[in-house]
Amino acid sequence: MNAVHFLNQFFAGCGGEEAASQRPLRLDGAVGPGRQLDIAVSATVVCGDDYFGEMESEALGQLLQWIEDEKPDVLICGPAFAAGRYGYACGTLAREAVRRGIPAVCGMHEENPGVLAADGAAYIVPTGEGVAGMRKVLPRMSDLAHAVVEGRAESAPPGTYLPRGQRANVFVEKSGADRAIEMMLAKIAGDSYETEAKPPLEKVPVPQALASVANATIALVTEAGVVPKDNPDRLEQCRAKGWHSYDISGLDSLQSGSYESVHGGFDVHVANRDPNRLVPLDAVRALQREGRIGRVDGFLYSTTGNCTATARSLKFGREIAQRLKEIGVAAALVTGT
Amino acid sequence: MLVTALPTIAVMIGANRVVRGVAITNPTGDPTLSAADELALKRTIVSRALEMMEADVPPGTVWEVKGE
Repeated sequence: MNAVHFLNQFFAGCGGEEAASQRPLRLDGAVGPGRQLDIAVSATVVCGDDYFGEMESEALGQLLQWIEDEKPDVLICGPAFAAGRYGYACGTLAREAVRRGIPAVCGMHEENPGVLAADGAAYIVPTGEGVAGMRKVLPRMSDLAHAVVEGRAESAPPGTYLPRGQRANVFVEKSGADRAIEMMLAKIAGDSYETEAKPPLEKVPVPQALASVANATIALVTEAGVVPKDNPDRLEQCRAKGWHSYDISGLDSLQSGSYESVHGGFDVHVANRDPNRLVPLDAVRALQREGRIGRVDGFLYSTTGNCTATARSLKFGREIAQRLKEIGVAAALVTGT
Repeated sequence: MLVTALPTIAVMIGANRVVRGVAITNPTGDPTLSAADELALKRTIVSRALEMMEADVPPGTVWEVKGE
């Protein structure tokens, strides 16, 4: 069994940030952390983080050519831990290698944008954020690489790799109805039970209450896909790629015909006759005039919450929250489905 | 703070302050009402949300628009 290993400029020993523009490079055998992989590495391919980010198709072209020339059983990328540019390069390269029939194993933190870039194609070992984890991660990546090549990755214990967005069918004796009733009876009786599906999200502590909204700035945020007429930023109907902000500072209401919803997950015609049914700007302005609300941020923050990838949703939420914090907003009124 | 007609899902995924909205197609409105009545409803919903911003609540709390 042989592998090709992908590293960035730092782990290949080319240098640190100053070498981030390193053009693609090919080295024989294993280099740096690759030497601790428990798999034969016939070649190591390298690219600088910035070069990959800025010259993606050139980088991919060269790297994939070298990888394909080796005819490896598996491509191993990273581990990138929390390094975003490196993780992105790993995830993208892995995805493209898989498209060309070469299985890929990566290692990175579950929130690394490289996870999204891999788009379910690669087997990604979840790691911590810091490089200190290297010694523990490399054997997990080697083991997974062996499992992938030998066709037994899917039977690895949960947590061996990040969910790839694929479901594997398994047969079980009892029907879902039987298992659900048993689980409910156990729950009612106070007996222990194990849920079959876990929501993958962290618990956020309850933010402290505001002393008084009359002295605060609030912002209007929505996942109902509310946008100005004709959707100038092309907000998606589903699988939103981003969020947008729209200047509502001069508006007392969202007028039908000036604003609309592009959300593809529910029937929008009721809302489009009065977009305030999704973002209640008319009521907010009335309460603001009466002094119940101190200030309202001048922008509506909008995205579409329809089949939005969880990782993206988290990212949008964090980005919007960060923006609101920077401008002194104390609370967000978030409306949607 | 979230206004949604699907508060169970919101709480399940970790939302802490939730006001139950009217319907999926119109969380903060009601097309069966007259314009005046609908505006009054919108004010009530927003006021409830503002009250919730000013309230200490346990994690995953859902308030109905009226009462509590």
